[in-house]
Amino acid sequence: MTDGSAPRTFSLQRFLERWGVVVAFVLLFTASCWNQGFDFLNPENIRALLNSNAPVGILAVGMTLVIVSAGIDLSVGSMVVLSAAVGLTVVNKLIGSEWSEASAVWMGVATTLLVGLAAGSLNGALVVLGRIAPFIATLGGLAAYRSMALAIAEAGEIRSQSDTLFRKFGREGIPLGWQSTAADGAEPVFRGLLNAGGKPLTLPYSVVVFFAVAIVAQWFLSRSRFGRHLVAVGANETAARYAGISVEWVRFRVYAIMGLLAGLAGLLQASRMNSVSTSGLGVAAELDAIAAVVIGGTSLRGGFGRVWGTVLGVLILGMITNMLTISGVSPYWQGAVKGAVIVLAVLVQRGSRA
Amino acid sequence: MSAESQAVPEAVLEAVLEVRQLTVDYPGVRALDAVTVAFRAGEIHAVVGENGAGKSTLMKVLSGSVRPTSGVVRLAGREVGFAQPADAMRAGIAMVHQELNLVPTLDVAENVMLGREPRGALGIDVDRATQRRRARELLALLGAELDLAREAGSLSVAEAQFVEIAKCLASDARVLIFDEPTAVLGEHEAARLLARMRALRDEGHAIIFISHHLEEVVAVADRVSVLRDGVLVAEFVRSEGALRGRDGLAAAEGTLAAAMVGRVLGSIYPEKGAAKDAPPALELRGFGAVGRTAGIDLVVRPGEIVGLAGLIGAGRTETAEAVVGLRPSSGEMLVEGSKASFSDVRDAMRAGVAYVSEDRKGRGLHVTLSAIANMTLPTLDRHSMLLGAHVNRRAERAVTARWIESFSIRCARPHAPMTALSGGNQQKFALARWLEARPRVLIVDEPTRGVDVGAKAEIYRIIASLASHGLACIVISSELPELIGLSHRVVVMRAGRVAGEIDRSMLAAPGCEERIVRMASGIRVEGEAAA
Repeated sequence: MTDGSAPRTFSLQRFLERWGVVVAFVLLFTASCWNQGFDFLNPENIRALLNSNAPVGILAVGMTLVIVSAGIDLSVGSMVVLSAAVGLTVVNKLIGSEWSEASAVWMGVATTLLVGLAAGSLNGALVVLGRIAPFIATLGGLAAYRSMALAIAEAGEIRSQSDTLFRKFGREGIPLGWQSTAADGAEPVFRGLLNAGGKPLTLPYSVVVFFAVAIVAQWFLSRSRFGRHLVAVGANETAARYAGISVEWVRFRVYAIMGLLAGLAGLLQASRMNSVSTSGLGVAAELDAIAAVVIGGTSLRGGFGRVWGTVLGVLILGMITNMLTISGVSPYWQGAVKGAVIVLAVLVQRGSRA
Repeated sequence: MSAESQAVPEAVLEAVLEVRQLTVDYPGVRALDAVTVAFRAGEIHAVVGENGAGKSTLMKVLSGSVRPTSGVVRLAGREVGFAQPADAMRAGIAMVHQELNLVPTLDVAENVMLGREPRGALGIDVDRATQRRRARELLALLGAELDLAREAGSLSVAEAQFVEIAKCLASDARVLIFDEPTAVLGEHEAARLLARMRALRDEGHAIIFISHHLEEVVAVADRVSVLRDGVLVAEFVRSEGALRGRDGLAAAEGTLAAAMVGRVLGSIYPEKGAAKDAPPALELRGFGAVGRTAGIDLVVRPGEIVGLAGLIGAGRTETAEAVVGLRPSSGEMLVEGSKASFSDVRDAMRAGVAYVSEDRKGRGLHVTLSAIANMTLPTLDRHSMLLGAHVNRRAERAVTARWIESFSIRCARPHAPMTALSGGNQQKFALARWLEARPRVLIVDEPTRGVDVGAKAEIYRIIASLASHGLACIVISSELPELIGLSHRVVVMRAGRVAGEIDRSMLAAPGCEERIVRMASGIRVEGEAAA
C-alpha cells in the first residue's frame, strides 16, 4: 500500500525493539559502576566476569544460529558434560598408559570436540532424517547425553591427571603486560586498577575463544551464503525449499555446529575446573543460553537473529549475577531476578517481527 | 440521465452501514481521503480499485481493526466507534478473510460454531446435536453439502471458504464483507460462490464485495464504488439489468478499469509472437506427480506460451511441482532433448527449468525478508565468494536495482521486508528472481492472482516478451480470459490427466471459453470425447 516509501517517524516502541538490549547493557553497566565503583571496574573483576561467562556465551552463540533456523537445542548442557567427560577420561587413560602429558592432552582436546560434533550431528540427523520436532529430538538428547556422562563416571567427578597443561585453556590467557606501566606516572587509582591485585593481567583464552566464535558466527549469519540460507529456512521453510535451498542440509549443519560449540564449551569448563562433575556441569545451561538469545533480540520464531545481541545478552545476565553476588543477595533469589529480566526483555521486544 | 440512476432502490433500501467523510492517515500516507459510502441491506456492493487504492483500509475500518483519523461510521443510523474487531462482530459485521481462519484439527461443525457453542445440559458441556444441526442449516443455506465430521484441515480451499462463510452467518452477521473471495477458487467454484452471495443478498444481508475480477463485479454487483488513491472517484448503480454510472450509460469491465486507473486502458493482452518451430525445450511423456496426476503428454517449444487450464484440484500445480523436483514424479521428462529428473528445485534450476509458485506469500517469496534477499536467494551461489563464506552485497544490490528498473517495480526500500509491497510488485520480484537464474523453461502458476489491473497488463507484457526472446513458458491459470489472451495453445487438465488441447486457431474462435470449461469439467463436447 505504501510501497515502503512512507517516511519513518521516531517511535520509542520501535527503538526499544531494536536497540533495547544495548540500552539495557549500558544501564546495567552504569548501575554496576555506580553501585560498586572500582570494585566492578577492577580488571580482575571484569576478567572473572568474562571468563566465567565464556562457556555459556559460546553455547548462546550457537543457540542463536539454531533459533534463527526456527529450531531449538535443549541438549546443549548435556552435550557439554558428555564431551567434557569423554575428553577428560581419554586424557587420564592416555596419561595412565604412559603417553606424554602433551599428546594425551591434545588427544583429549580433539576427542572433546569430536564428541560434541557427533552428539550435535545425531541431533541433526534425528531432526532431518527422523523428521522429529527439534524440541523433542533434543529433549531426548538432554536426557540421554547426560545419562551417558553419568554412566562413564558413575555419577561422580572425573579429576584430571594432567596437573599443568590441561588446566591452561580455561585458566590462563594472553598476558597484557599492563601491570608494570601503570607504576610510572599514572594516578594511584588507576595504578590500583591496572595492578589487578598484584597478579599480571591476562586476557583469558576462554574469552578470546568466545569473542572469536561470536565474531565468526555474526559474520556467517549476516554475510555468508549459509547464514542467508539459515534465515530463509527459519523464516519460511516451504518458501526456502521452493527457492532451491536444501532445507535438510542447512538444518543438519546448524545442529552439528551447535554440537561442536558445546564440545568447545565443555573443554573450557573442564579445563577451568581441571575436573568434570558429571552431575553438575552444564545443568540448565540450555536455559541460560536460550535466555541470552532472547534478551539479545533474536526471534524465537526464527528467521531473524543477531549474534552481537546474544553476546550482550550473555553479558547482561553475567552482570546481573555479578552485581547481586557483590551486593550480597542470596543466590537463591538470583534466579527470580534473572527470570524477571528475561520476561521484561520479551515484553519490550514483543511484536517487533510478528 | 440522472433520473435513471435515481430510480434505483435507493429510496426503498435504507443504509445499514455508512461512512461519512472518512479519512485515514498512516504515517506518511493518506490511505483514505474523505470517503462517503452507504451500504444497504439486500444489496451486493462491490468496492474496486487498484492495489493501494484504499479498499483494504476501508474494510479494516468497517471491521474494526483500524480506527479512522476523522469521519464517522454509522450502523443503522447510529454512530459507532469500533475499538477492535470483536466490537464490529458483535454489531453484526463479519469479514470473510482472504486468509482462512479455520482450526485445522476441529471438524466442520465445530469450526462453524466456534465461539458460539450451544451449551449442553450441564451448562459446561457442548450440545453436540444442536451444534451439528445449526452447522448443517447454515451450510445448507450456502448450498454446501459437507460432512460435518470432517476435520477442517482436510478441506479443499473452496470447501474451507464455505465453512468460513457459514461461521460468519453463525454470528448473526447482517453485513458480510467478502475480501477477494474468488481469488483462490476455480471458475466453477467461483460461480457457485457468487450464486450463494446473491442468495444471501435476497435474504436481506448487506454484502460488501471486494474483487479484482471485474467481470464478476459486473455480473453480480448491484452497486459499485471505485476508489483511486484513497478517494472515491466513481459510483455505478445497477438499473435495468446493467451497471450505470452518472451518465446513465451501461458500464462494462472496461469502464470500471478506466475509472480505477484514471485512464483508458488498451487491450491488456500483448500481441502473440509467432511460435517457433524449434525442437521442444520441455517434453513430458506419460508424466505425472505420484498420487495426483498421471499420463501427461506435453510439449513446449522455445518461444511458445502454453496455457494450462483446469478446475482447482485438476492437478496442474502438482504436475508443475513434480517437474521441478518438489514432488516425486512418474513417467518421462526431456529437457532440451535429453532425459532429466530433478531431485530438488536447485537441480531443476541448473538444467534451466524454473517454477514460480501460485502461493506468492507462503511459498513463492519470503515476505518477511528484504527484496534483495528474496531476489538473490535462488542464485546466491553467483554472488558468493570463498566457498560461500562471503556474499557480495554490492553485487546483490546491483542485480536487484537492475530488475527494479527493468520491470518498473515500485520498491523504495529494497532492504525493507517485502510485506510492504503490493501484490503486483511482489509478483514481479517473484518472476525476476527466477529470470535471474536464466531459465530456458519457465512455469508460472497463477501469475496474476491478487494483482491489480495495471500490474496484470505489465506481467502479461513481461511474459510475452520473454517468450519472444525464446523462453519456453507454461502458464497455469484459473482465469480463462488470461489463458486465452496470452497463450499460443491451451492444454486442459481434468482429474489428474490431460482432457484436451485447444490450438491457436481455436483460441481465436468464439465459444472457446465454453469449450475449455466443458473439457475441464468433463462435459462432452459435440463430436469430441472429453477424457
